[in-house]
Amino acid sequence: MQPATPLPGTQDLLFEAARRLRRCETSLCERFEKAGYAEVIPPAVEAADVFGPEAFRALDRSGRLIALRADFTAQVARIAATRLAGMSPLRLYYRGSIVRRVTPDSGPLHERLQAGCELVGDGSPEADAEILALAGAALGVLGIQGRISLGSTGYFSALAAAAGASPRLAGALNDAVDRKDLPTLRGLCEREVPPGKAREAILMLAQPPRPQTEARELLARAEELAPSAEALQALRRISAALAAARSPGANLEVDLGEVRGLGYYTGIVFNLYAAGSPRPVGGGGRYDTLLGRFGDPRPAVGFSLDLDALVPLAC
Amino acid sequence: MLTFALPKGRLQKPTLDRLARATLVPDEEPGTSRKLIIPAGPDARMVVLKDADVPLYVERGAADLGVCGLDQVLESGADLLTPIDFGFGRCRLCLAAPRGKSLTAELGRSLRVATKYPRLTSQWFARRGVPVDLVHLSGSVELAAVSGLTDAIVDLVETGRTLEENGLAVVDELLQVSARLVVNRAAYRLKVEELLPLMEALA
Repeated sequence: MQPATPLPGTQDLLFEAARRLRRCETSLCERFEKAGYAEVIPPAVEAADVFGPEAFRALDRSGRLIALRADFTAQVARIAATRLAGMSPLRLYYRGSIVRRVTPDSGPLHERLQAGCELVGDGSPEADAEILALAGAALGVLGIQGRISLGSTGYFSALAAAAGASPRLAGALNDAVDRKDLPTLRGLCEREVPPGKAREAILMLAQPPRPQTEARELLARAEELAPSAEALQALRRISAALAAARSPGANLEVDLGEVRGLGYYTGIVFNLYAAGSPRPVGGGGRYDTLLGRFGDPRPAVGFSLDLDALVPLAC
Repeated sequence: MLTFALPKGRLQKPTLDRLARATLVPDEEPGTSRKLIIPAGPDARMVVLKDADVPLYVERGAADLGVCGLDQVLESGADLLTPIDFGFGRCRLCLAAPRGKSLTAELGRSLRVATKYPRLTSQWFARRGVPVDLVHLSGSVELAAVSGLTDAIVDLVETGRTLEENGLAVVDELLQVSARLVVNRAAYRLKVEELLPLMEALA
């Protein structure tokens, strides 16, 4: 028999590593409870259509497609939209592990430990600010000084629509913006986007992030260029969230090129960064259409933390 | 403190020339020094790597930023920011075959292709719906097509002279390559005050 070791992308946590994880989880849960959030523990396996293509799927004995938990937010949305339908606002938190395929078409999996919060049934900028502040505070209780980089997928979608971009072009633009790849973005815009406000606004997306104190200028400039009512509204939502989030407990900065997020984000989107981690340690955003998929259309906003990245940094 | 991944090989000299403009100069000559990490002034240091390893070092944060060809960025699949195209190190990633040989005549079976770029090659053929039997080599890729190991090769072409001298011809172009600045995603946010002046001087 082969010596049994954990599959690549998964690991055993022993002794001090396990103790550290539990300590961090406990501090986070206490903080979430203090903010008025209640824990939900969804199952580790679900009907596959709850998750996206990154989920690890299998057929059960009846031929039904099931999946390992790939995303807590989708599960919390399902719970909120079914058993808790119509109860607003809901403040829910979770912790546990998710399993995803490394890429949607690949065999290899990875398991990640997460904790996070969802605020359901409140579509206001104050709700965005509450989630931003709680994400910052969560880093704070772990003794980590972080940065929150705030953008909006809604703004990007509005610009792509105003530019008349096909799904292929929108995907290519999104990828170039996400990589801060100004040469590629410029090339795509010159070849495929007609000159005008939308084009100028898209080119602005690859600019470096601005601290909260300088964000007003950036947003004002973007508002001047806003090619549509949707784009203007998305920008005003960022401004409103910034205004409401006075002391987020972490450095908050605006990066209109922060377009990366899960497929269901519709409005503000943000990523969390902390010294010592080469990748984001968490992220979140607004998802106002996800609950509708489960029959109870209500706005929601939330965040999740990557505990594999955060626990080694926590003091 | 910024850690810069400096590529070995043909990209090193033009990279150092560019960095000198931004007053980032290694304290010792990287070509002759045996040090693996070379200080560059009080606030920076350089790690000297094969350019194929640059994306991984930067993605995982062992270096904050670095320089390598677009071919290496894409082949590695690393999740990086690529804010500057330096314009040097220009070449093309090409599909080449023995002159006069028709690749479409081989459609009765999978096309055999040798390359150092298995990810880019399989993606390119997959987009075209062409089944390939990839042979992953680490050098002398032209030899594979010349010796009959494979029907064709995918490799970097600079002047085309090597291909020509060995009776090979370009069939198609997969990618235009030039040297890119690659930056770690978290470093870009967390060290923005150090990075932005450097990037402005490099652009």
